[in-house]
Amino acid sequence: MNIILIGMNHKTAPLEIRERLSLACGDDVTLLMEMIKMPRIKEVMYLATCNRVEVLAHTADTEDTVERLKEFIFRHGNLSVEEMVNCLYLYFDHDAVRHLFRVASSIDSMVMGEPQILGQVKDAYRRSVEHNATGIILNRIIHHAFRTAKRVRTETGIAGNAVSVSFAAVELAKKIFGSLKGKTILLIGAGEMSELAARHLINNGVDRIVITNRTYERAAHMAEDFQGTAIEFELLPEKLRDVDIVISSTGAPGYVITVPVIEAALRRRKNRLLFLIDIAVPRDIDPAVGDIDNVYLYNIDNLQDIVDNNLKSRVKEAQKAEIIIEEEVVKYQEWYNALEVVPTIVSLRGKMEGIVKGELARSGSWMQNLTDEERKNIELVAVSIINKILHDPITGLKEESRDQSALPYIAAVRRLFGLDDI
Amino acid sequence: MDILSFKVALAIYFISALGYLTSLYVRRVLVAKIATWVLTVAFINHTIFFVFRYAGTGQIPIMSLHETLSFFAWAMSGIYLAFQLKTKTRILGAFVSPVAFLLMILASVGLGGPVSIPPALQGNLVPVHVALAVMGEALFALASLAGAMYLIQEGLIKNKKMSSFTRILPSLTDLDRINHISLLWGFPLLTLGILVGSIWARTVWGSLWQWDPKQVWTLTAWIFYALILHQRIAIGWKGRKAALSSLLAFGFLLASFVIVTLCFVTAHTFI
Repeated sequence: MNIILIGMNHKTAPLEIRERLSLACGDDVTLLMEMIKMPRIKEVMYLATCNRVEVLAHTADTEDTVERLKEFIFRHGNLSVEEMVNCLYLYFDHDAVRHLFRVASSIDSMVMGEPQILGQVKDAYRRSVEHNATGIILNRIIHHAFRTAKRVRTETGIAGNAVSVSFAAVELAKKIFGSLKGKTILLIGAGEMSELAARHLINNGVDRIVITNRTYERAAHMAEDFQGTAIEFELLPEKLRDVDIVISSTGAPGYVITVPVIEAALRRRKNRLLFLIDIAVPRDIDPAVGDIDNVYLYNIDNLQDIVDNNLKSRVKEAQKAEIIIEEEVVKYQEWYNALEVVPTIVSLRGKMEGIVKGELARSGSWMQNLTDEERKNIELVAVSIINKILHDPITGLKEESRDQSALPYIAAVRRLFGLDDI
Repeated sequence: MDILSFKVALAIYFISALGYLTSLYVRRVLVAKIATWVLTVAFINHTIFFVFRYAGTGQIPIMSLHETLSFFAWAMSGIYLAFQLKTKTRILGAFVSPVAFLLMILASVGLGGPVSIPPALQGNLVPVHVALAVMGEALFALASLAGAMYLIQEGLIKNKKMSSFTRILPSLTDLDRINHISLLWGFPLLTLGILVGSIWARTVWGSLWQWDPKQVWTLTAWIFYALILHQRIAIGWKGRKAALSSLLAFGFLLASFVIVTLCFVTAHTFI
């Protein structure tokens, strides 16, 4: 198939390395443009989230492209080769397809079943499409991945229970504070995951929310959404005296909350317990803050451990999902195998003949008044019409197949005539 | 009849302790819920024992060592069950009920024997003194058990070892609250107990304070607790430090009890 998937995720690479890579990979589009310009790469999609970096490529020369992509990642990751080699994984053909299906279905996620990843894959795909980096093969794989994800979501309980970072955060908050009634959250920065965590906490009893952001307008806007209060970013250390739960997810390169800031706040808050959640990559809160008494600091990797426990009880659901994914990989392979001239011509003919048979059968009631010979003639006319219609497309396909560029035509024919019953 | 109800209570305490420990083991709160009801039954039985005992002997049954231990178990279970109504900290019973059971085992030694009280301890204030002091100490015991559980739960959360074990243990805030309330109530009760004791001492021996070894050790523990309460209320100690110090203070109280009983001649020698 000549499909390659190269990448690293939270399982293969520690937070520190992902941190550096995601810093380096801030500007997705230039990277995408650089990759699509590589010789022999036909199609490419690039996905970077805080938990993973993946490149999916369709190429004419697997070996050559693998080398180029590796070199590309080493260069942009700004990491030593030894560091990277252990973190990278590489999949080919149907393994690559399976991996993407698993990623999109959130089976491979740090928090299995979390819904964000599908949106992130969609965004990555849209970027590729906008820059003409995808074609028949990737379009098919990725659309198939979306379908698979949808099936997994609806047919298994994997997403039914909120198995997510936000759920883990709520569970922890309850183990720290007991009831969340009367508690206050401070939301620093914006982000899908942190907002989700905040919403979960609010649904579980937290009744006040304070929002801050480097740009005050953004905070004010979010505060409206959450029916909370927005404060200036500079007031953050002061506000730490009053709140119980802090969720931080800024894009800041350095620490936003440091040990002296927390220590000062704790004195003022008479050591009331403080729960800090650091969702940002790179981290917002100095890890040393976690050593302070009565302060509980969890970063995104720590939350994973809890979630892993939650996931144990959902192993059955995941197994169901794997079966669905396997089915879909097989379906994809069937589609891909059919993507050749001869099977396409066969199924095109088959489809037409089926239509003729069907129509003749439907007309059977009025045709019974005709003689056998008349009926035979009608059949002959019908068959010769389809032969005439099919003549040019079939000749065209056969001609194209001589110089390896038949793929788009085959795919188009299969799509236009609905030859794939998927 | 009183002996029978004591034995029944002992057996039910045992079942309840087993139930709680099972719930810890299988990590199901439901088992602990059942164990809580069993503990309630044990407590009621135990109460019946005291009633019968009082009816039988005509004196408040907290004079001998075994009676005092059994009263300790009763007070601790009762206070725990009262907490249980307010907070959903069922698993704390896994620490409370085995202690209650062990106290009952100790109490069952020499159970039901005739109690002869030395003349110096025959008076209405003595049972009051013992009851107040034991109640106070039972509350301190509960504070230390909640503190111990706090330290376990805190360690798990702090070190990110969240597991199904964390899930069934009560929340930090609830445990801290139990610790706090137990200290808050235990301290004045023990104080009153000591005061009543010294008033009685004055009527018997002529002075409020005898420098009896038991008195000295208890006073030291009392100062220890006074300090903890001060730190909690004025300085704002919470959580780990408070839990750890209440555990240490109770350890001290326990050690003083053992050392005094074994090594010193004291007016507090139990019969």
